[in-house]
Amino acid sequence: MTQSKIENLSALVDGEQTDSKLLDELASDAELASRWQSYHLIKDGLRGELPDSLNLNIADAVAEAIENEPAIVAPNLKTQKDKKSPVWGNVVPLFRQGGQFAIAASVAVAVILGYQQFNQTSQDSDLNIAPVKAISGIPSGMSPVSLSQDRAVPKANVAEQRRKLNALLADHQQRMMLKTADDETVIEAETDEDSQQQEPK
Amino acid sequence: MLIRILLVMSLLLNLPAMALQGKVIDGVSYPANSAEVWLQKFRDALHNLNFTLSFVVTRGNAETRPYIWRHGIVDGISMEHLSQLNGPGSEIFRIGDKVSFFEPNSVAFSLQSSHINGPVPLTFFESPIKLAEAYSFVVVGRTRVSGRAAQQIRIVSEDGSRYNTTLWLDQETGLLLKMDVNNAQGDLLEQLQVTSLDVTEAPDEYFEKIEQSRLPEISNLPNNPDLQFSWQLNFIPKGMEIIQKDRRRLVSSRDVVEYLMLSDGLVDVSVYISKDDGTVKEGGWLFHGSDTLLSISNGNIMVTVIGKIPPETANMIASSVGPVRSS
Repeated sequence: MTQSKIENLSALVDGEQTDSKLLDELASDAELASRWQSYHLIKDGLRGELPDSLNLNIADAVAEAIENEPAIVAPNLKTQKDKKSPVWGNVVPLFRQGGQFAIAASVAVAVILGYQQFNQTSQDSDLNIAPVKAISGIPSGMSPVSLSQDRAVPKANVAEQRRKLNALLADHQQRMMLKTADDETVIEAETDEDSQQQEPK
Repeated sequence: MLIRILLVMSLLLNLPAMALQGKVIDGVSYPANSAEVWLQKFRDALHNLNFTLSFVVTRGNAETRPYIWRHGIVDGISMEHLSQLNGPGSEIFRIGDKVSFFEPNSVAFSLQSSHINGPVPLTFFESPIKLAEAYSFVVVGRTRVSGRAAQQIRIVSEDGSRYNTTLWLDQETGLLLKMDVNNAQGDLLEQLQVTSLDVTEAPDEYFEKIEQSRLPEISNLPNNPDLQFSWQLNFIPKGMEIIQKDRRRLVSSRDVVEYLMLSDGLVDVSVYISKDDGTVKEGGWLFHGSDTLLSISNGNIMVTVIGKIPPETANMIASSVGPVRSS
């Protein structure tokens, strides 16, 4: 790779130049492409535009994670011995089937600012920037866990909690982006009219 | 020639009133100037016109995001381009029914879809009048938006379980000029405001620059409609249906979740079930942009509902999770 090519690449990343020949080379030359990626990363870093958690090769990382870990989900609410499908054991990893789905990086920047605990008085945690409005539908005695009303969230859990919620938000945003027109077809209507009328338990 | 003269004449005849004529949609006849006829005109404009729209979207307290959105019919093929103008940028192209995503820090990929699911909900491309199942339409009347004559149409949630949406459609072309999402108290939660609208005879030259052979191949997202969960929702808001079902590991936290997507066409809601390892305790909720995130937990499983719905509705959905009844 010549020095002038590297300079041209740098100019391209800075938006000072659009050289179609260079673009063609970029598409075919892996070394040039990786240099191009690094330049963009450096630039994003300088501008403070990097996502919170940076994972350069998410598709690989996820594929590996799925490969190495057994799938353990929430415990069965009800064991279904007679059903032939192994309900919890049969995980279909999106990333392996879908091939290169390195889509999460840019949507993973959703950051939780505030989280209003149901049974929490408003000023006892650093997590209360969220608008605090009473939800009429939510009974105050919601939690079956024996926590007293004014107990603050243990600090150690705060980061973990944010991480969890961020992950869910990021996933939701990603799904919104990837929703296709074909998804409009209905999978099933799970509730019938009667249960819609029922008060939720 | 004769056809052209007739066309011009019919245009001229329509001009003074500018009222939209009645129309038969899906076998039902709707009166002139009704909301259904306007929504259908909007839908047809999205499919048939060559347009370039610049708009900004503001959600909750989040920063305003500017976009440019182009649509063109090139050699009979419908093409679309949606670009985010601030920050590192993200580009989405659609050629026919191939949608390609170019995002910073990730590998480009394509999906199959007849439209881009951007800030304009997919239902407006498809059959907006189906929204009548859960919403009622109100034609508010004429007003001026983005310097143009606009028709204001409200889409009101009938049972209050969802937010209300207001559209301002261009009187002449039927395209979108503004879209507001308000809660029942009238607070503005989300706004899309068009800043420039260009409808042209020929498609934008931009589409010629796309090298179609360079676009990534279509990948298939595994859809798993037969997936059996051991839980079910006992409450689904009226007009909503389950459109996605999935079980997967989240990318950033590596938690395994079971997932349902509910949709009424206008609003999509994600429902996640995951193992509660004690980090989220009794649960809580927050607003993120115009989304509500609500988690409840019984110490065993955690149910999280995310979507553009009032927290009350999110709570009703989340707390309706129960074991599958054997039948």
